Amino acid sequence: MISKALIQDIIGTVLKHGGDFAEVFFEKRYDNKFQLKDGKLESASSGTTLGIGIRGFLGNKAIYAYTNILNRENLLSVAKRVGEALGEIKILEHTFNFDDTKLKNKHIVYFYPKDIEKNEKVDVMKRAYYAAKNFSNLIKQVHIMYWDYDQEILVANSEGTWAEDRRVRTRLMISAIAEHNGNMERGFYGPGAGMGFEFFNRLNVEEAAKRAARIAARMVDADPAPAGKMPVVISNEFGGVIFHEAVGHALEATSVAKGASVFAGKLGQKVAAECVSAVDDATIPNAWGSANIDDEGTPTRRNILIDKGILVGYLIDKLGGRRMGMESTGSARRQDYTFAPTSRMSNTFILPGNYYPEEIIAATEYGLYAKTMGGGSVIPGTGEFNFAVMEAYLIENGKITKPVKGATLIGKGYEIIQKIDMVGNDIDRGQGMCGSLSGAIPADVGQPTIRVSEITVGGRNK
Amino acid sequence: MTFNEFKEKIFILAKKEGFEAQIEFNGQQEFSIRYANNDIDQYTDASKFSVSLKILKNGKIGNAFTESFDNPEELFNEAVTSWKIIDSEEENFFYDGKEEYPKMRTYFGEFEKVPVKEKIDFVRKLYLSSKCNEKIVMVPYAMFKNFVIEKKMANTLGLNIEAKFDGAFSFAMAISQDTSNHSGFWFELGKKVEDLNPEAIGKKVCEEALSLLGAKSVKSGKYRVILRHTAFEDMLSLLRSMISAENVQKNMSPLKGKINKKIGSDILNILDVPYHPLSITNRPFDDEGVPTKEKFIIKDGILTTYLHNLKTAKKDNVEPTGNAIGASISPINLFIKPGNLTFNELVNKLDEGLIITSVDGMHSGANPISGNFSLGARGYRVKNGKIIGAVEQITISGNFLELLEKIEAIGNDLKASEGILTPSVLVKELDIAGE
Repeated sequence: MISKALIQDIIGTVLKHGGDFAEVFFEKRYDNKFQLKDGKLESASSGTTLGIGIRGFLGNKAIYAYTNILNRENLLSVAKRVGEALGEIKILEHTFNFDDTKLKNKHIVYFYPKDIEKNEKVDVMKRAYYAAKNFSNLIKQVHIMYWDYDQEILVANSEGTWAEDRRVRTRLMISAIAEHNGNMERGFYGPGAGMGFEFFNRLNVEEAAKRAARIAARMVDADPAPAGKMPVVISNEFGGVIFHEAVGHALEATSVAKGASVFAGKLGQKVAAECVSAVDDATIPNAWGSANIDDEGTPTRRNILIDKGILVGYLIDKLGGRRMGMESTGSARRQDYTFAPTSRMSNTFILPGNYYPEEIIAATEYGLYAKTMGGGSVIPGTGEFNFAVMEAYLIENGKITKPVKGATLIGKGYEIIQKIDMVGNDIDRGQGMCGSLSGAIPADVGQPTIRVSEITVGGRNK
Repeated sequence: MTFNEFKEKIFILAKKEGFEAQIEFNGQQEFSIRYANNDIDQYTDASKFSVSLKILKNGKIGNAFTESFDNPEELFNEAVTSWKIIDSEEENFFYDGKEEYPKMRTYFGEFEKVPVKEKIDFVRKLYLSSKCNEKIVMVPYAMFKNFVIEKKMANTLGLNIEAKFDGAFSFAMAISQDTSNHSGFWFELGKKVEDLNPEAIGKKVCEEALSLLGAKSVKSGKYRVILRHTAFEDMLSLLRSMISAENVQKNMSPLKGKINKKIGSDILNILDVPYHPLSITNRPFDDEGVPTKEKFIIKDGILTTYLHNLKTAKKDNVEPTGNAIGASISPINLFIKPGNLTFNELVNKLDEGLIITSVDGMHSGANPISGNFSLGARGYRVKNGKIIGAVEQITISGNFLELLEKIEAIGNDLKASEGILTPSVLVKELDIAGE
């Protein structure tokens, strides 16, 4: 690790050469990544990364530098370059008054990645493999990935922040491929948590694996999805990716501060249907996207974003906060020290409503039932989003009739949340990796079953 | 400890335990400036290195990595614990470095000498010229980035190679507004300072955003379509995955059993080239130290080879093709051979249909196992060989292999992006979902 005195010198060196704020992010992490194909462990890679990110602000301007050459000489020369690039204000004497009050750890871990023998992890992978492989004769390939990591971070800044956190995350990813009559389809399920190996005491590994297999087996002989505008019922859990892409990204300070978001300047206004309330909550114990502090050292919190259709909050980091004249919401995140932090989502979900999912289907005469969502993306400046439906069915006369494949949903986020007309009571969350300016980070998405009265479905024409 | 001392220590540890060992050093420097709101939005000045170790015994490989030279024993032991759990019977190999490597210049050293002030100036010009018109309400980002990569590889079989690479790229987005917002984006890369002109890139960004003003959806149906190089380059990532011999051997590619079979239009020629003058990803050796080489992947519509690493080549009883990239297999530069038609001639030939200028959702809406895709898209409507309006809020759907068969004409407007060089293509028919 790096000494407190050296960190003080780094911050002092930045400020001596320029800027009005300086920050140090130190990270040490240990990763395990294993891959299993054809029932055999094919590759295993483990290792340690450690490095430091040095950031300075001058007003709204930010300079970031990172390095993993951790000797004093190099670190101070990097700090000097950061200060010089900022220029202007030169604080020659900075008094350090670190507040190093330890926060209570809300995310207790029992078995750290290094404490568990690698072969125990492989056993879990094999259980998943056989459960998926034996699900159906249609399943021809199963690919299992196991990933865990233990990340220790320290954030110190010239405002007196001195904060440490340790994040442990574990994830099992199951990819099943079904083949029939020359068609091939893939099903995927990737449950994870902010936990150590104890995650597998809670996760039903076999059920998770079967879920991936089911998707592949059901979709392999499915007809192409229809094309055009229609009502879409989106199932709970990972279905929440619609809110994440269509709305969440546009509520990040990164977009809002530049005016690059359709939701900029809309606080207090009605932006969604009244049945829609949504939150981002990084405090949920041991959730995939949780942490005690964000990557700027600010304690995380539960942020209400939309309350009964009214926009009540954004996701804000320190730099975004400077630009917007608002406080940080504890939402600064980054993949690792090679990225400057920025405002990001953590665990984001639509709150439950009153309908049973069955009622929602029954109330839909014709439309698409998006049972399992794939990933998606959005252009915040225009609100245009797209996402793939991995497992879909047709709804006819209030009943789910047949599987359909290849559906992509597109639209504009601010239009879609006004068109949500039914919200179910079956809330759940699913795990994903969210990619954006500050890299790929673990994030939970979530929702109960919802219905959107009209979305463009990118299927095929008859 | 230096890299060489560290390497020697590891080799001794490995030999003592009966392992072969291969070690790779990657040094990276990166400098980038992002502009927004007429000011520097983000500025990154970075240097880092990483070391990865592979140990080999009984055909099995164990991997480990680190970012410090402090502890060779720890790195070695980590690799051993990884090696112990491997139970795949597939045989792995190291390469001894005995063959000739293609000669090429991959490092020019120009961008790292440009003073920071000039780079800031570059991005300011890019930002301002992207905002060329009052209908542009915003430039969410304008970016410049240059990098230097230093690679060293050595193993106990005698491989000992190194190379240095550099390059830069620049891109920006502009948002135009009428009753809704429309985005325009342009990207250019360069090996030398003269390759990148901020005003020229900015002008393209601005024109792209303005050209989508008034964009509407179209009726769902089948259309004749030009996939402009900016859209086709994204879609080609499907092919990248399909031609990997590993995916073929694992039954995860629709190209299985298709060698010497016709999989594309007669006019389609696709190569993997280790060097192209427009590329910044040229490489004389792959990540297993094997020399890279030029070869046809698709010749006159016929699939001629898959891409191999050492393991998949041995399994198929062919020569390795020098395409081990990271942990997977990938072309060095995927090069779609240009045709004779200018873009305007291509539009003329289209006569009636759509031009797709960009697609969204490749990472989720495209399935490399089946080749099926359904992607958000935007572009223009064409009637009587003329662009008559803009299109957005549509999707294009189909199967990538069927699309390759339906290529009717190929443009001469070759464009380089990272690892892909492609012109625009005219496709006979594609499914469009809209109104």
